[in-house]
Amino acid sequence: MSDETSATPPSVAMTHPPLSGEVGQTRPGRGLRRIQLATMLAVLGPGLIAGLSDDDPAGITTYSVLGTKYGYQMLWVLGVSTIALVLFQSLGARIGVVTGQGLAGLIRQKFGARSAVVAILALLIANIGTTAAEFAGIAAGFELFGISRHIAVPFTAVLVSLLVLRGGFKGIERVLLVLSAIFICYIAAGVLAHPDWGAAFRGLVVPTMPLTRDAVALATATLGTTLAPWGLAFIQSYAVDKRLTTASLPYLRLDVVTGALLTGVIGFFVVVSCAATLHAKGVSINDAADAAAALEPLAGTLAKDLFAIGLIGAAVLAASILPLSTAYSVSDLTGSPAALDDDLRSAPLFYGTFALVTVVGVALVLIPGAPLVAILVLTQVVNAVLLLPLLWFMYGIARDRALMGEYTASRGIASTYLVAIAVITICVLALGILSINA
Amino acid sequence: MIADLGEAEARARRPPRRFRSRGMLVRQSVNSSLVSVSGLIGAPVCDLGGASVGRLVDVVVRWDRGVYPQVSGLVIRIGFRRSFVHVADVASIRRRAVALGSTKVDLTDFQRRDGEQLLRRDVIDHQLVDVDGARVVRAADLYLTHVGSRYWVVGVDVSFVSFLRRLLPARISSRATAERVLDFAAIQPFGRPGTPVKLRRPHRGLRKLRPADLADLLEDLGRSERRELLSLLPVESAADALEEMAPDHVRLLLRDVPVGQAAALVAGMEPDEAVDALRDLSGQVRASLLVQMPAERARVLRSLLEFPEGVAGGIMTTNIVVMTADETIGDAREKVRSRGRDEAVDGLVVVDDDGYLLDDLSLMDLLANDPTTAIREVIGPPFPGTVLPDAGLGDVVEELIGNRGASLVVVDLEHRPIGRILADDVIDALLATDTERRWPWQQRGPVT
Repeated sequence: MSDETSATPPSVAMTHPPLSGEVGQTRPGRGLRRIQLATMLAVLGPGLIAGLSDDDPAGITTYSVLGTKYGYQMLWVLGVSTIALVLFQSLGARIGVVTGQGLAGLIRQKFGARSAVVAILALLIANIGTTAAEFAGIAAGFELFGISRHIAVPFTAVLVSLLVLRGGFKGIERVLLVLSAIFICYIAAGVLAHPDWGAAFRGLVVPTMPLTRDAVALATATLGTTLAPWGLAFIQSYAVDKRLTTASLPYLRLDVVTGALLTGVIGFFVVVSCAATLHAKGVSINDAADAAAALEPLAGTLAKDLFAIGLIGAAVLAASILPLSTAYSVSDLTGSPAALDDDLRSAPLFYGTFALVTVVGVALVLIPGAPLVAILVLTQVVNAVLLLPLLWFMYGIARDRALMGEYTASRGIASTYLVAIAVITICVLALGILSINA
Repeated sequence: MIADLGEAEARARRPPRRFRSRGMLVRQSVNSSLVSVSGLIGAPVCDLGGASVGRLVDVVVRWDRGVYPQVSGLVIRIGFRRSFVHVADVASIRRRAVALGSTKVDLTDFQRRDGEQLLRRDVIDHQLVDVDGARVVRAADLYLTHVGSRYWVVGVDVSFVSFLRRLLPARISSRATAERVLDFAAIQPFGRPGTPVKLRRPHRGLRKLRPADLADLLEDLGRSERRELLSLLPVESAADALEEMAPDHVRLLLRDVPVGQAAALVAGMEPDEAVDALRDLSGQVRASLLVQMPAERARVLRSLLEFPEGVAGGIMTTNIVVMTADETIGDAREKVRSRGRDEAVDGLVVVDDDGYLLDDLSLMDLLANDPTTAIREVIGPPFPGTVLPDAGLGDVVEELIGNRGASLVVVDLEHRPIGRILADDVIDALLATDTERRWPWQQRGPVT
């Protein structure tokens, strides 16, 4: 970006009076803008995909419960989570682009073998659990349409794996971007619920909450499900695999911020649609599928269908990204970086990890009597605990001049990260203390 | 019966027991003569009297002399200070024990000097290039050995087992497990980002790598390592490697290096490949690269850029060998020889005094005729088919097949040769649209 602007000082063109003979000079400018749009479209992807996949079934469930239990009151938690998401997703993308290395490799390089293995092992466990949650979401979503999980889950798993194994980088990216469009369903469902927009706005900007264990847990869960460890690892690996360089940083930042804000907007509409209907009528729900079913008598069949389709799309998007993110991290840790365009033989560990995560995730959902609820709870705990060191590692890398060079985070930006990390730490600690006391 | 056979075969394949135990002994003695660097970190440092002085923080080596890096000193933590001990003051380095040579050693605050590397901080867990295997590795551990009073880094362990060993308590983790150890002589290490590259030498083996392998290396490395490798390589090798990369990656890579270096790289590529790379860049970046190139090369590339993509002019190389009919076969041989090995010469264009194309000589023609023979006597019908620069890919393929050769001459409207299309460029052009298509229905049949 910088060399482009320095190559043609726009000030020169401005100081010249617009002579008729110079009309031709405006052409390169227009051409440049067109190329920049093309570049932006080419860069588009990592941020959008990584952001939106944070609105996975676990996320939708959390947002639904938030809206159903507390109405519009705790919308601001979602706002705070979105800001944290914007901050750390852009940081992850930036680290990936500047260093050209994945998070696992950098942690190994900067913080040593022990930190890296422990972090990636935790990530592996959490990701398997989260993948199970995604497939459970797929199962629940299809069951709303009367399709058995024994058909829907294996079918989706095969579809997702085929996509990754055969699609090539661009193919996968295209499908994932189309899947992301399904999230519009939630916005439609939200509008159909006829919410009280004034109350929603007030909830978004006025931070109040009941100081109960339940409310704190829900606030932490919202933060944790929005800012997921795998999302952070994913966006960095993905930017590396896409071979983006610092020249594309401005576009990438736009992409990441858009993705993160959209994530927040969709979460907002989920909360709002539940608040306007389920909370108003005092219905209680346990998960996103409950919410969809409960929506039907209150907001119509269309709202329910949109909600269910959104749930399935979200789950499929996340179910393809989770094994991918894990595979990137594991092969990065062992020092044999892998890429989506590598074939099976040259990257056995990459595809092996992908298969492991997918198969175990599917099995946990399909095996009758598997303690799915316990696994999902454990997963959330691992994710929350893992998030803190991961953010701390990212902060350390961002401040490392040897790694980041001229892109090292300045003191001002670094203190913003520190404030965000402090807030998240307080949330996790508060939840931990409240859980022990209870 | 079959099962018996299988078992007998397995027994035959396994080495006899006594050899196996000897193999283990060899491994044990090798492992005990190597000192694991990762195991040394944190080890107690004692003086001659056996009194503890401090703990080892890092091992300092110099790359500049010899094949193997030599240990030049140790960084030791004494209280809150980090001090440097010169290797002359070190009596012995053994597994988890470092002894200093006297009770009074010269301790100075550690300051990195040019050409020095810290093994723990800069090498272990960082990316390295295994030149023999043409791949990027991460060092799980490094092994030291001593010859006389000097210590050398001789091996780099890249196995995951050795990496996991480091998670164990120090008593176990300091034991060398030479699992998959590479000879350090085959390693191209990288410096700490931000330090001058000039002090490090490129590994000799890098020049011998195939361009495609080099391209893979460049794609697998992190950004600063990639930049360092690029500047360590001779420009021709780097340019050859770029020709093997996917167009998108070339574009991004060229945007990532300084303009001067990018210009040198593009100028070093074959003209047709260089034009492809330039086409992918935005107008301004393209212009700035062309300005930085040697004028003659820039002129050639500019003229090639005039042709649209996908026609003969867009895929031809202007790098052609031109002869006149009066010259001899010997002259022609000399001209081909002077081109050097890097430039693919597939044939020689023969022109008359006005520069009009007479014939296309193959390398076979050079071999089959006497050096004193005049080219005039060799040329004659059948005359080669040619294409105009605006000919489409289909016409190019058709002419190429008709010629039964591996290349095709491109002429202007007045039948003057302006370039040559090599068969591999045609293949590239045909495949260019298909690299991302892996689904069965996307794969096209042969071009008809």
